[in-house]
Amino acid sequence: MSDVAIIIPMYNEEHAIRNVVLELKEKYDYEIIVIDDASSDNSYNEACIEGVYILQHIVNLGQGAAIQTGIEFARTLGIKYIVTFDSDGQHNADDIEPFIKVLREKKADIVLGSRFLGKAENISTFKKYFLKASRVFTFFSTGIWLTDSHNGFKAINIGDFPDFEIKENRMAHASEIIDLIKRLKMKYIEMPCTIRYTTYSVQKGQSMINAVGIVIEYIIGRLTR
Amino acid sequence: MIFIKIFLILILTLAFMLFAFSLRLKNFQRIAVILGYLALFIFIIDPPLSDVVARYFGIGYGRDLVIYILLAVMSLISIILFVDTKTNKDALTKIVRKIGVDNAKKCTKS
Repeated sequence: MSDVAIIIPMYNEEHAIRNVVLELKEKYDYEIIVIDDASSDNSYNEACIEGVYILQHIVNLGQGAAIQTGIEFARTLGIKYIVTFDSDGQHNADDIEPFIKVLREKKADIVLGSRFLGKAENISTFKKYFLKASRVFTFFSTGIWLTDSHNGFKAINIGDFPDFEIKENRMAHASEIIDLIKRLKMKYIEMPCTIRYTTYSVQKGQSMINAVGIVIEYIIGRLTR
Repeated sequence: MIFIKIFLILILTLAFMLFAFSLRLKNFQRIAVILGYLALFIFIIDPPLSDVVARYFGIGYGRDLVIYILLAVMSLISIILFVDTKTNKDALTKIVRKIGVDNAKKCTKS
């Protein structure tokens, strides 16, 4: 069994998940853990490809909760390194290996993907500047300056950090992870990655209005954690 | 006038019973809700008394005092409900996660 797991939170991705998993299986011998966050379509069956671990939430909890479920399951398998990977095909499977290499060489405990160091294919101008502006919020709330603070593509050494636990169930988990870096004194670096914005992924993704809700969710979460 | 008073007292008592005894409250929270209820109850029965109490606290008008008490009680109830909801949400997350992990399967078909 590999000591690396690719964790894929999934919600209603019946059209994309199969190709995402097949590509990962073709390129890596890592464990693949898909967490179906109570999809109402055929995602569960589409993701159930030989050798893949599949878990299901009986009610929808959110992406943060799904990733944490994946982490808890990965710990039961004795996994040391995880990669969080989107189920809608936005992430590039080729980016995984360099991230894991950095973790194995102990250059960092967590590697954060950055589309602004790498490539953001077909990103809208508004989204680009919105994401760049959100770096300022992250800096003031955590004291950590990142070029891309809301990128879902990350590689994390969970083996050496048993206290690494995501408590934000929904999208505010991205900011919470930056908090965890600081609280657990994790060594971090940013590395370039590619994010592909397709018509499908843009339709499925977060709207800019939701971002306001995420900020409020994060602030309340921080006050009550 | 008497019917409006009875109506207000009924609504107030119903809300009070719901919040003070159906939620898991800490003692100080329950006491605050009871005090708020009693104050509003008395002011409904005897509105001029609210003017006397308001003057004592330097507020001026009884109706202002009632609004302040209502705001305080409503804010307290909102916070209590938020905490209660969060507690339930955290418990639900743990249950859903445990079921997910316990029933994890390794797919055997493609």
